[in-house]
Amino acid sequence: MKALILVGGFGTRLRPLTLSVPKPLVDFANKPMILHQIEALKAIGVTEVVLAINYQPEVMLNFLKDFEAKLEIKITCSQETEPLGTAGPLALARDKLIDKSGEPFFVLNSDVISEYPLREMIEFHKSHGGEASIMVTKVDEPSKYGVVVTEESTGKVERFVEKPKLFVGNKINAGIYLLNPSVLDRIQLRPTSIEKEVFPEIAAEGKLYAMVLPGFWMDIGQPRDYITGLRLYLDSLRKKASPKLAAGTHIIGNVLVDETAKIGEGCLIGPDVAIGPGCVVEPGVRLSRCTVMRGVRIKKHACISSSIIGWHSTVGQWARVENMTILGEDVHVCDEIYSNGGVVLPHKEIKSSILKPEIVM
Amino acid sequence: MGGSEERVVAVIMVGGPTKGTRFRPLSLNTPKPLFPLAGQPMVNHPISACKRIPNLAQIYLIGFYEEREFALFVSSISNELRVPVRYLKEDKPHGSAGGLYNFRDQIMEESPSHIFLLNCDVCCSFPLAEMLEAHMSYRGMGTILVIKVSPESANQFGELVADPVTNELLHYTEKPETFVRVSDRINCGVYIFTPDIFTAIQGVSSQRKDRATLRRVSSFEALQPANRSLPSDFVRLDQDILSPLAGKKQFYVYETTDYWEQIKTPGMSLKCSGLYLAQFRRTSPDLLASGDGTKNAAISGNVYIHPSAKVHPTAKIGPNASISANARIGAGVRLVNCIILDDVEIKENAVVIHAIVGWKSSIGRWSRVQASGDHNAKLGVTILGESVTVEDEVVVINSIVLPNKTMNVSVQEEIIL
Repeated sequence: MKALILVGGFGTRLRPLTLSVPKPLVDFANKPMILHQIEALKAIGVTEVVLAINYQPEVMLNFLKDFEAKLEIKITCSQETEPLGTAGPLALARDKLIDKSGEPFFVLNSDVISEYPLREMIEFHKSHGGEASIMVTKVDEPSKYGVVVTEESTGKVERFVEKPKLFVGNKINAGIYLLNPSVLDRIQLRPTSIEKEVFPEIAAEGKLYAMVLPGFWMDIGQPRDYITGLRLYLDSLRKKASPKLAAGTHIIGNVLVDETAKIGEGCLIGPDVAIGPGCVVEPGVRLSRCTVMRGVRIKKHACISSSIIGWHSTVGQWARVENMTILGEDVHVCDEIYSNGGVVLPHKEIKSSILKPEIVM
Repeated sequence: MGGSEERVVAVIMVGGPTKGTRFRPLSLNTPKPLFPLAGQPMVNHPISACKRIPNLAQIYLIGFYEEREFALFVSSISNELRVPVRYLKEDKPHGSAGGLYNFRDQIMEESPSHIFLLNCDVCCSFPLAEMLEAHMSYRGMGTILVIKVSPESANQFGELVADPVTNELLHYTEKPETFVRVSDRINCGVYIFTPDIFTAIQGVSSQRKDRATLRRVSSFEALQPANRSLPSDFVRLDQDILSPLAGKKQFYVYETTDYWEQIKTPGMSLKCSGLYLAQFRRTSPDLLASGDGTKNAAISGNVYIHPSAKVHPTAKIGPNASISANARIGAGVRLVNCIILDDVEIKENAVVIHAIVGWKSSIGRWSRVQASGDHNAKLGVTILGESVTVEDEVVVINSIVLPNKTMNVSVQEEIIL
């Protein structure tokens, strides 16, 4: 079975992290974002994944060779020379997605994290016999997105409404699709939107069905949602009683600690924290609601909350880092510094406090 | 004076990628030394100035960038200017003098009698031939280019005192703490040395090595804070060579009365581009554009337009505008004090004032990209990174936009990541 992951462009919303690596390789819960999806696909028997990209293919390809070997799944890239929107890339990758088996293929959006109930989706798709299935998820503010209006009992999609002003429903497109090869005949090789052009056409013919996504869903394409997403993800690990979660007197709530990370005496870690490979958390450190990426050193007595600390950065002794502070790669916050929402580009040293949210270039 | 054995070598320090964060976002895609000022890469200006040195044998660029980032540039500039240029990559920081010492074998290859040391991010007239002449009359180890500045701005620089008659360097300290300044002259970052500078640098290295050994022997020495953490091969020109040797008849100064600026930020690069355009007006006016709005666009003041750029005749350009290769300037566009980089498209009736528009960007019709024009302020010059799109009728004021963004709403005083 095949799958396409829409990786798209520059990931500017996740800057400064994406100034160092392309977005799909930014770590989430101690694993590159795209690896979460590739592993979920591998688990249900997908043999080939095509990545639709239009930026930095060389960097991606190097990482992919690693994953290919470790996971034993074939990974190829389909590179757009001009942005093709959300449907065009499918047409571009046509030859890779269709084989003689006539099986449907998955399409995933790379910014999304969720439970990935892909086996259930395959069952759903077989049972309704339509041409395309999409996952939808319930949200609190449907007017921020495109709402999918469905027939209650069958899940058949009636229509899509972009950012509705009146309440028409609270389910939105979750960015996970299972499509029959015939869908590709509806897509031309030009910038095309799958939500605005392709799906409405299939829905009008009564051949599009939506399944409500069980479990959590988050678009982690920007820092605030990334932090919320980590909470949801760790929460789902807790529900599955995953052994990956850390335990101990110094742990509160859901915390993920890579086995190569070191945590000192007298620390209090959690809730909702991920500590990456090779990190050193010195004694007396308080961490909550934050991600600490590979190779970071947090010095004694520091306190970090609601922030993302980029690869190989350091946070000084008694420093206080909070309120959506995002440190890019190789950023060094000096001792006793306070950062309130500082967004710091790679290779910087922070020698004076950042009192209100500010971008440091 | 100027005998056939008197070969001269020039060394230009170009810096490196992680050191140049102040030049972002322009340095995110291009090494700072290759950023164009008045239509030519920043480093071209000191290189061209070096051509005026009699008996110039070789120019070395020393920096931390990867060799491949400079390979193309070095071969094309060597051909174009008919002067041998080589790029040498430093493996680790050695300090401003240590870097020179690190490559002494290559620098001394042709047994030069004099060595110029220039910093790439200095914008000035580089009166190198005159400096050489002055240096030879002083007969010291080195001569420093200096300039008078206003008392207010002098405070940002080191204290430099020279004898008004002999021009000997009497006193030099980096950023003194006392408020009372006796001198209004500052170090321009352009020097000329005789080869005994290498002996002086080696002296500092050995002394530091000896002190380190001594410290291990005596616990009192171990308490001294000075130079405790500096490796022995890290030698700074100002603190370690000029300061101790000032007043010992080793170093002299040569004063320039022309312009001088440091090119540390994108805002300053715009100012310096203007200074170089003014210089072209004096020395090579045929490099500048002209036009009166009939057959060609109306040109006001000093303007550079690359031969491959297309400018609509109804546009009005200048003063202080620089347009790079393949840029397309549409009808009715107004450009004032700006740098338009390669492949930019500016659509009809747009206005760009006090800004730098990055490579491949697109500026929409009737849109306005402008700033206050304060070259020193963080947001005083609007900077658009590579491939930024400003949609029709959108206004971007006093802002910095990182690469690959699309501006579809107007903004003021913002940094767009």
